[in-house]
Amino acid sequence: MWKWIQKQASPKFFYQTCNRLIPWFFWPFIALFMVGLYWSLVISPADYQQGDGYRIIFIHVPSAILSMMVYAIMAIAGGIGLIWQIKMAEVVAKVSAPIGAGFTVIALATGAIWGKPMWGAWWVWDARLTSELILLFLYLAYMSLNSAFDNPRTAAKSSSILAIVGLINLPIIHYSVKWWNTLHQGYSVGTGGIKDSDMQIALALMFLASILLYALLVSIKARTEVLVREQNSRWVKEEVGRLMV
Amino acid sequence: MSMVDYFSFLPYGKYAFYVWLAYGVSALTIITLFLNARRNHALTLQSLAHKYSRNK
Repeated sequence: MWKWIQKQASPKFFYQTCNRLIPWFFWPFIALFMVGLYWSLVISPADYQQGDGYRIIFIHVPSAILSMMVYAIMAIAGGIGLIWQIKMAEVVAKVSAPIGAGFTVIALATGAIWGKPMWGAWWVWDARLTSELILLFLYLAYMSLNSAFDNPRTAAKSSSILAIVGLINLPIIHYSVKWWNTLHQGYSVGTGGIKDSDMQIALALMFLASILLYALLVSIKARTEVLVREQNSRWVKEEVGRLMV
Repeated sequence: MSMVDYFSFLPYGKYAFYVWLAYGVSALTIITLFLNARRNHALTLQSLAHKYSRNK
């Protein structure tokens, strides 16, 4: 296993692994997403306080968790690239940014849509909402900085430092509902979270589907990024020749 | 007639507008991310093939 992980530092092996993993992520994602949707929209009962309006939780919570998880992965991969100069870690960090930004947009948009019927407002400058918005700005800043340099190694170095500094925002987002008196409800998962077993199953299925979606998108985007970075290698020329026949 | 009333014939009644809007926005974002990733890969392959044939 360790040998296999070490092999992934080679662009060629990493590209081949991404190619092989795509169907293994795609079909389980489709299956889990469909079952998760059915459990979220049909099987789960209405909430005793929020009625059917609470069903937004099944996309809001997984995307909010993923928005933070992807940022952590991006910063850790960036750190690995900085310390050990592993190019494939830089690739993972770079391609994770737009995916994480996508999850953050979903979390913010679904939160606003959920807020309107429950709070009477699309947006409030609450600690949880504001820190999540800052996370979106961090993703945008990372992507801007990464595309500001012609040399991918220099771009990776500077943007990784930004990603690592931005890690400070993650505990702020997580603990904001504890540290401040917020309008946003407390934790949905764990102690004080949802109690109904069907709701828990629906949330778990949608969360697993979101993880698979992230893995799928990383695999697709990473193989493209590897081709661009390694375009002068003989194996890329052979691969492009093989695919474009 | 507000949007909330207009969409109340859908499942979830008075919350239908909000629930379906949230799921719609999410589906649109996911599909955009997925199609964009696939399109970029196809465009990259095309441009590299073009570059290699020019250099031959």
